[in-house]
Amino acid sequence: MTPELLILSLVVVTALAFDFTNGFHDTGNAMATSIATKALKPKSAVTLSAILNLIGAFLSVEVALTVTNAVVNIQDASGAPKPELIGDGGLALLLIILAGLVGAIVWNLLTWLLGLPSSSSHALFGGLVGATMAGLGVEGVKWVGDGTKLDGVVGKVLLPALVSPAIAIAVASVGTWLVFRLTKGVANKYRESGFRWGQIGSASLVSLAHGTNDAQKTMGVITLALIASGHWTDLTAVPFWVKFTCAAAIAAGTYIGGWRIIRTLGKGLVEISAPQGMAAESSSAAVILASSHMGFALSTTHVATGSILGSGVGKRGAKVNWRIAGRMAMAWLITLPSAGLVGAVMWFLGHSIGGVYGALVIFAILLAAAGWMYAHSKRTRVDHNNVNDDWADQIAAVPDKPMVSGPRKKSKKKARKKKAAKKLKAEL
Amino acid sequence: MNIFLNLLEGAWHVLLAGLILGAGLPALFALGIRALSYGADDGQKDSDHKPHPGMRVLAYACFAVVLAAIGLGIGVIVAGGFGLEVQLGWPLFVRE
Repeated sequence: MTPELLILSLVVVTALAFDFTNGFHDTGNAMATSIATKALKPKSAVTLSAILNLIGAFLSVEVALTVTNAVVNIQDASGAPKPELIGDGGLALLLIILAGLVGAIVWNLLTWLLGLPSSSSHALFGGLVGATMAGLGVEGVKWVGDGTKLDGVVGKVLLPALVSPAIAIAVASVGTWLVFRLTKGVANKYRESGFRWGQIGSASLVSLAHGTNDAQKTMGVITLALIASGHWTDLTAVPFWVKFTCAAAIAAGTYIGGWRIIRTLGKGLVEISAPQGMAAESSSAAVILASSHMGFALSTTHVATGSILGSGVGKRGAKVNWRIAGRMAMAWLITLPSAGLVGAVMWFLGHSIGGVYGALVIFAILLAAAGWMYAHSKRTRVDHNNVNDDWADQIAAVPDKPMVSGPRKKSKKKARKKKAAKKLKAEL
Repeated sequence: MNIFLNLLEGAWHVLLAGLILGAGLPALFALGIRALSYGADDGQKDSDHKPHPGMRVLAYACFAVVLAAIGLGIGVIVAGGFGLEVQLGWPLFVRE
């Protein structure tokens, strides 16, 4: 195996790993409300979302090759990598991409460990921006584009991130207010089942839109790496195996379910009822679809979180946990620079060691960091069994403490079985 | 300065579309549910209420509009993936 091929393989594996984290980080955006209101069982919700993400990923036929052009100058307008970066078999470009991806994954895992829904696209862009700045200097980054339209880091990432949660809060609170106003005094029979169906439908739409938007980004990054190293030449298409593996990775990630984040979104912010859940997901679906249709780049995570907050604002008497919301906002603010910092450090490390060993070392660091965070997450396990347990405020702030105070609640089924066994014993 | 005007314009359009589709459709759905429940007492028990025939038609009309809008939403996603754009009018799908 040539050194170039080895580094390329590392890039592909890392990109797919990022796609996987993208999947489980964002499961909650679509499904947290349906899980919290018990419209869907946790496992059914993630399964439905995974299938829709898979379908969505295959639906994105449009070429996503220019995805990095929004923030960095490593490709020209047609998607071809800059010639000066591929002189040495693409090594310079591959190292930038690899370092950027490592930054993105590390940040995604850390926020997952803390149960914070942060934007996966911000993490990806942040990592790439950091690695590019380290590798090519400040000029390598596209900060504002040419000023005629919203472009660059400021126009495509930072400003929309400030605006989108506000839009989502507004839409969802108006929707929630209207829904409660209109169904006041309606018989429970119609209210509960009706809104559950509405909620499942709107959440499905969010999942589908997520699959089309997010899987594309990884497809674009992998294809860019293939072009840089001379393994692919077509600028108008993505290789089928890339599309297939990316779709599979994001669906698998979604199915695994980022239960910590689902829990925060579903239970931490607002006590959600079925009508609120439906208003929140409709708002998310409408805002995400409208913005991607108009070319206004928004983060699914910011919109979904804003919508859930809005569903609390719009219902009279509902309590919104603004402290948790504040923590999230903090995480959003530092996502781009933090992922960027990791990306930059990784690039310096990989570059100073050089060649295959440099790439191997930063890959090893990624594995070590991921392993450490996974081991840490075991201590305060959140999964489909306890994702809906009552929210105790302090646990999110101090993740080292047990996630559930006292012994974990047994599932009803188990409790029933135990009771039956006891009864049987007594009878004997 | 230009960039902020662009931002405001984009945000305004998204907000408008969001309010019409993201808040309007749930409201329509709620209206349908209200119609089904016509004549029922507040929080009435299951099973002892049947929807009024006329109101049932109204309710299903509301749900049909909501379903059509969801269909259009999926259409936008799918069409976007194939490089098509959805427009109001006919033909519904045009090349971007």
